[in-house]
Amino acid sequence: MSSQETKKYPSVLLQNRHPDRIATLDEYRRSGGYEGLTALLGAGNPKQAQQVLLDANLLGRGGAAFPAGKKMMTIAENAPFPRYVVCNADEMEPGTFKDRVLIFADPHQLIEGIVIAGYAARASHGIIFIRPEYEQAARIMEREIEVARSEGLVGRNILQSGYDMEIVVHRSGGRYICGEATAQINALMGVRPNPKQPPPYPTTKGLWQRPTVVQNVETLCCMPHILRNGAQWFGSLALTENGAGTKVFCVSGRVERPGCYELPMGVPLKEIVEVHAGGIKNGGRFKACLPGGASTAFVPARLYDIPMDYESLKQEGFRLGTAAVMVFDHSDCLVDATVNLLDFFARESCGWCTPCRDGLPYIRDLMKRVEAGRGSTETIEKIETMCRHMWSAYCAFAPGAVSPVQGLMAEFKDEVMAHVEQGGCPFK
Amino acid sequence: MPKLIIDDISVAVPEGTKVIEAAEQVGIHIPRFCYHPALGSVGACRVCAVKFLQGPFKGVQMSCMIEAADGMVVSTTDPEAVDFRRHVIEWLMINHPHDCPVCDEGGHCLLQDMTVSGGHGMRRYQGKKRTYLDQDLGPLVQHEMNRCIQCYRCSRFYQEYAGYRDLGVMGIASRVYYGRFGPGTLKSPFSGNLIDICPTGVYTDRPSRYKGRRWDYERTPSVCIHCCLGCRITVNVRYREVVRIEARYSPTVNGHFICDRGRYGFFYASSDRRPRKARSGGAETRPKNARDEAAHRLEEITARHGSGSVAVVGGSRSTLETLAAERRICRQLGWQGPSLFTGTEESAAARRAAGHLTTDLAVSLEALKNADLILVAGADPINEAPMAALAIRQAARNGAHIEVIDPRPVTLPLEYVHRPAGTDKISEILRGLGKPSTEDASGDIQDLAARLDQSRRPVVVCGAGKIASERTVEQAARLARNLRRAGKKAGLFFVMTGANTFAACRMAGDPADLETLLLMIEDGKVRALVVVEADPMSEYPDLARLVDALAKLDLMVVLDCIDTETARAAHVFFPTQTFFETGGTLINNEARIQQARPAFAGGTPISQTGGGSHPPRVFRDDIPGTEALSAGQLLMDIVSALSGGISRSVEEFDGVAPEFSGFDPVEATGERGTWAKLPLRTAAGPDSPQMGGETPIKKGELLLVESVYGTEALSRSSPWLQELESEPALTLHPEDASRWGLQHGDRCELSTEAGALTVPVHTSRSTAPGTLVLPRHRRLRWQVFQHFRSGLDTVRIRKTGGEGA
Repeated sequence: MSSQETKKYPSVLLQNRHPDRIATLDEYRRSGGYEGLTALLGAGNPKQAQQVLLDANLLGRGGAAFPAGKKMMTIAENAPFPRYVVCNADEMEPGTFKDRVLIFADPHQLIEGIVIAGYAARASHGIIFIRPEYEQAARIMEREIEVARSEGLVGRNILQSGYDMEIVVHRSGGRYICGEATAQINALMGVRPNPKQPPPYPTTKGLWQRPTVVQNVETLCCMPHILRNGAQWFGSLALTENGAGTKVFCVSGRVERPGCYELPMGVPLKEIVEVHAGGIKNGGRFKACLPGGASTAFVPARLYDIPMDYESLKQEGFRLGTAAVMVFDHSDCLVDATVNLLDFFARESCGWCTPCRDGLPYIRDLMKRVEAGRGSTETIEKIETMCRHMWSAYCAFAPGAVSPVQGLMAEFKDEVMAHVEQGGCPFK
Repeated sequence: MPKLIIDDISVAVPEGTKVIEAAEQVGIHIPRFCYHPALGSVGACRVCAVKFLQGPFKGVQMSCMIEAADGMVVSTTDPEAVDFRRHVIEWLMINHPHDCPVCDEGGHCLLQDMTVSGGHGMRRYQGKKRTYLDQDLGPLVQHEMNRCIQCYRCSRFYQEYAGYRDLGVMGIASRVYYGRFGPGTLKSPFSGNLIDICPTGVYTDRPSRYKGRRWDYERTPSVCIHCCLGCRITVNVRYREVVRIEARYSPTVNGHFICDRGRYGFFYASSDRRPRKARSGGAETRPKNARDEAAHRLEEITARHGSGSVAVVGGSRSTLETLAAERRICRQLGWQGPSLFTGTEESAAARRAAGHLTTDLAVSLEALKNADLILVAGADPINEAPMAALAIRQAARNGAHIEVIDPRPVTLPLEYVHRPAGTDKISEILRGLGKPSTEDASGDIQDLAARLDQSRRPVVVCGAGKIASERTVEQAARLARNLRRAGKKAGLFFVMTGANTFAACRMAGDPADLETLLLMIEDGKVRALVVVEADPMSEYPDLARLVDALAKLDLMVVLDCIDTETARAAHVFFPTQTFFETGGTLINNEARIQQARPAFAGGTPISQTGGGSHPPRVFRDDIPGTEALSAGQLLMDIVSALSGGISRSVEEFDGVAPEFSGFDPVEATGERGTWAKLPLRTAAGPDSPQMGGETPIKKGELLLVESVYGTEALSRSSPWLQELESEPALTLHPEDASRWGLQHGDRCELSTEAGALTVPVHTSRSTAPGTLVLPRHRRLRWQVFQHFRSGLDTVRIRKTGGEGA
């Protein structure tokens, strides 16, 4: 397939991406930037914006794939003010780096998205909650917010419409769990970032008990384009019937050209790996990939042709997550890879509930024993039982954390058993 | 009322009941760690998992997080749920040190119970255990973090429930740590509750370390006597020594918790300085000799000067039985008193408060939590009745507006509005608020009047005694009555001065207070004093005058369980039993009669008689230190030795006061403590005649106030609480301070004609201008001011040292 000609797809979110610098406000405007917002503030209303986002079938890009328009609509008409929009730029899912690329490419796209979301939610404050390792991106946002303010695009009386919205950048304390919406709200309020089980949902009682819309950077970046070009256009970008829009795939692992690729929703996995990422490194054989970050299950080679959109993966029992495709080849030990992931999750658990806090280190311990060849069938059974019980944890962290383990057990049991039978790792 | 089925048992519960609570109602105890009825549900520990078979939820879910709903069918025994719970316990135990044999929680440890009952009998985890470094949390609470199962109860209690910030959660994942940012004494006066709510041995009782195990203790339900609230406690005794106090659940008084003063104030009962022998003329004597001598001399004095020449002085730490005995004796023998209050104003304020409390207005401590507006007037809850502050905080957490009108720099662990007003202004503000129409309220209290107007369940919390005047009490009661008449579920909550002040109000005779009695001693009318469980020489604000007066007496007989200055000055002294040994009846600030049984038989602790040997082996046929009797019984014994004396059982109440005829405390209180049937009117009567206004304070006023540690008569001898005392200081408004050239941190000398003392100066903008606040602290010779509220025209203030000087 590598000989096949690279297909040309429209570039939307990354159309102003330069290899060496960020796009300026003028460049963004030349590509149609702020047109959607201008039209919305000129002749539209919040309800209309919510409806077009719903019609566009814009699903949350942070991993949970909740319809963005529907989320806006859960804010009651008579809900109290002030309301908040939180832009979730706390990108910590292993293998995911699209938000950083989006900010570095075109910061005004995000600013416009936040203002549109704010208007749709009738919010007066936008907060960019950004991971501390993204200090440069945070500074870019701070600078560009001021540029936007000087142009009347942020702040009081935006574009003479009477709509006010302030945007601030808030640096995270730097933990994975802060990326979870309810934990993020707690973090912003200065309390421990433990997730909070709904109800009430953040759109009812979020930041300081006020309606709060938390959206991922990429979701917000889609909004200006939807407003400008319409819901139907957005739907037509996808290759599959159920998908909508483009998706920024973060490809890493055993590929020739790891990186961020904006491709239509529903593009086949094989095409992403073989064409856009340049194929498996050193002529290796594709064995599996994590399709959407560390908290998704391994997609095996038999599903290499699967269209990469939320619905298609769901039908096969997988999740697109953040669309961070981590590729493993024939020489990789997936048990070892899974132990590595568990290390991350056992470390990043917020420590609130028992299964996650103490169960994950337990499973990690058992997995390490398997990897070291000291496991038995009993160990495997124990791991499987505990992974099942992880689904009764407090939030989605623990189920996500054991997704690779459960995927491993479902699709690569032979490889696991080889560790047990050989008394060691067959790849070492 | 949703109806559901739990383990084939059908149960209907009120709306909003969680499944875990519904199960309790049919006798099914679902395991729990993070869930606590006072702290609510958070779903952290996951050990209360049950299986939902039918209804709106399906599968394994946490029973603490789901409200009971119609049509639910729940199984607690479903194999999937049982297996999940077993795993949760296994996970919790992977780092637990299994040090039960040396852990003070062993034997009453929820984790032990759950581990055994949950079916996790064998350790399967082969990895290493995580370990922590412990912290020194002060003299009360021992920290052992390795035992922690991360249930979050401690941090939720400490920060959310109690409102203190110096202990909390740090770290994430399996490194979650509960403690302080750095080692140090816990700042909350409710820190001992950590010990009770911790489901395992992370926080254990420090003073009782190495004194015994749970099953060694004689455990008896009792009532706390360190303030007016009467919280329920459990007394733990071993080898004739009270070693530990725990909170005991009371649905109407203290709920699940108590304060540290109540928990650690018991040291006096087992102190090696506790007097065990009767004394005559300072020398130890046999009890019978002392009794005969006292009776003989009393007889002599009454023969010469008449029966009115003998007076009884008592106090509010005595039981109702003792107070009744005092009253009966005074009435029948024509003696003066009993004088149960220190000052005239204090007595008037307290008795007016007791008179105004009616069954419709009186609110319990627990009910205080349901108020939607609390007005605290002339009271300092944290220092005077700590658990009241905790109850007010719960009301605030539920959205109540809290407003404090007090000259002191009152601090509460919650958000509130403080109006620093002089003692003469409090009643005026209350009177302004009590007017029928909001418009009548003057400008600066209009917002408060409007809030009162909008409130539905307002409660007036009012002091009644040394600081809040009789007029303040009167206006507080009037305000509460008016709010009630306006259709509100208004309440009245008096903060009184002592454990049994309410009873003292009913039992006090004539004169009711020592201040008036002093005049009678000074003019020679009273020649003999019988002092029962009171210490005028530490409590009376004008010591010089008191000493002069006492010197005129022909006889002073003192009965007490602690070695007080007054006891040492007595001609004849009798040791009495403590409340732990006598049990008895107390009437709290809400007029709730509560009964306690004796917690142990008394005697000198074996730790003192055994000479340190282990096991203590001292062979003798009596129990040392058992000469003491209850004060009431002793009093009756002395009196029955008089010719023409009376001989009655202490437990009889007939003839004491009409409202107590036929009164049987045991019957009246039942198991849990019920309403006082006798002392209360059932509804508010007409307003009492309007009292005149306050006398305005001219040059300013010095208040002698209570502080949480160091002032209360019994708990101030506790060595553990003494460690927590902050240095007593004079607090005043910074602008007042500058009048005397004083700054925060300076030292100053306060002097009157009667003496002088030197204290550090604290300035606080929440002190009322013109008011100086000084604790009646055991470390200060404060008894030079003549009154608890004394005009500054009698006090000289002089700077004696600057900061660092």
